[in-house]
Parts: sequence; C-alpha cells; structure tokens
Amino acid sequence: MSRVFQPHGDAIRAQFAPEEVELLRSLQEGIRTTLEEGDDDDPVIARLFPQAVSGDDEADAELRRLLRDDLLAARRAGLDALLEILDRCEPYRGRLRVELVDEEPLLVLGVINDLRLAIAARVGLGDLDRDELPEDEGLAYRLAVIDHLGWWQEQLLALLEPEDPGPEAT
Amino acid sequence: MSVSARAASTARPRPSTVSAQLSAAPDLPVRERQPELSERTDEARPWNVIVWDDPVNLMSYVVFVLRRVFGYAEPKARKLMLEVHHLGKAVVASEPRERAEMYVQQLHGYGLHATMEKA
Repeated sequence: MSRVFQPHGDAIRAQFAPEEVELLRSLQEGIRTTLEEGDDDDPVIARLFPQAVSGDDEADAELRRLLRDDLLAARRAGLDALLEILDRCEPYRGRLRVELVDEEPLLVLGVINDLRLAIAARVGLGDLDRDELPEDEGLAYRLAVIDHLGWWQEQLLALLEPEDPGPEAT
Repeated sequence: MSVSARAASTARPRPSTVSAQLSAAPDLPVRERQPELSERTDEARPWNVIVWDDPVNLMSYVVFVLRRVFGYAEPKARKLMLEVHHLGKAVVASEPRERAEMYVQQLHGYGLHATMEKA
C-alpha cells in the first residue's frame, strides 16, 4: 500500500486509489445520514456527542444541550469540506490526486477521526476483544477500515505541527 | 447557568486572601470584618478537565489535540496521553467553569471523550 498523504511544497498532497475515494464518499454519506436521523440512543450519536460533565447529571444534560448545535454544525462543515476536496481530485497515473491547502489538512484529520469513531461505535468496538473476534466478514472489513483510516491519520500527523493555523473546533 | 446557582449553595471554605484579612485584624469587632466573598469563590472555583481513554483515538492524535487545544509542549502532552492510556483517564487542566466548558467543547470537536468535574 502506498502513502496517501505527502508533503508537496507548502501544501500536503493526497493521492488516493479510486476505491479509497469511493470508500470516503460512502462513509461520509453514512455519517451524514446518522447525524440527520440518529436519535440519542444511536451509539454513533452517543459517541459523537458524549458526556460533558462528570458527577452531575443535570449539569451534564444542560452542557450537552448547549454544545450540541455548534458541534453538529462543525461536524457537518467537516463532511462538506471533505466532499469538496474529493470533488477536486484529478486522475494521475491511476490514482486520484488533490492538494490540501490552508486548514484543509487539519479538517481532513478531524473528519477521518469522526469516521473512525462512527464505524467503531457502529460495531461496538469498546465491547469487542480483538484477540477473540467472532467470525464475521462484515466486522472484519469494518475493523480493517478503522485501521486503514488510522494509518492515514498517522501520515497526516507526521506532516502537521500543532501550531499550524486552522479553525479552532467550536 | 444553574450550575453556578447550585455551587453557591455548597460554597467552599473562604479563599485564603479573605482568611488573611481576617487574621490580620483580629481585634476588629465582628461586624467590621470583611464579608464572605462566596460569589468570587464560585466564579474562580476550579473545574478539572478530564480526558477519558477510548478504543479508537490514536495516541499520536491525542498528543496532537492536547498540544493544539492547551498549547502544551510535546513532553507534557505525551505524559498526559500516557496517563489516559494506562490509567483510563487524566486531568489535563484545572480551570474556572467557563474556561473548562470551552475546553470540553474543543476536545469534543476533535472527538476526544472529555468531561469537566468540580475540582
């Protein structure tokens, strides 16, 4: 497997295999649907809008209510940015290539993290023992996707300085 | 917010500056001593910001987020991340309520599992 993210001048260049772009498109579609339709019992919603105050259920409910709209808007904006980036991809030697500029690397880092969180919540990763997984191709595939996207995050993190400009998560 | 209102009803002991004023003037009649500044105590009262371990977030990602949100240097961010990883959670900051809320919001934005708790 070749690296997806590499430095290119002042920018970061992403080179995806076509199926990787398809994967990202379908993952962002899935999480977008969940954000729009999921209720609080949905494990993905519970993970993306988690507990905010420990030791005080009333204060927790209140702070979560306060934070929810901005958090939802920020997540949607990240998904929109990802789609826009994917739409900008151009074919190059069998791969799809795009330059990430300004705050885009940071946005992509965050969106990939959201996607991994969502898949993991969907399969109940916290309850799984990875040394003793049930025989389940769908599960194996999803875990492989979580790992693959994690590798992309490691690549991006190696290229990003924490002090890089970018939108503060609001 | 209702959180402050509840805090006022369980006010902590006076801050040390008020105690110092009281002890500096022990011979003043009681009615001339400084009143308890319980409101000031509430606003300044620290809340711990806690990051909890989770099975998805990469160690390198947690370090990055801690550095970005709090401005910590790499060794401190790494130390906190390892505490989260090994102990299940870590107090990453101690702040007045509004600032703690801001940090929780930012950490949630990056997908960390973070809460605030009265210190």
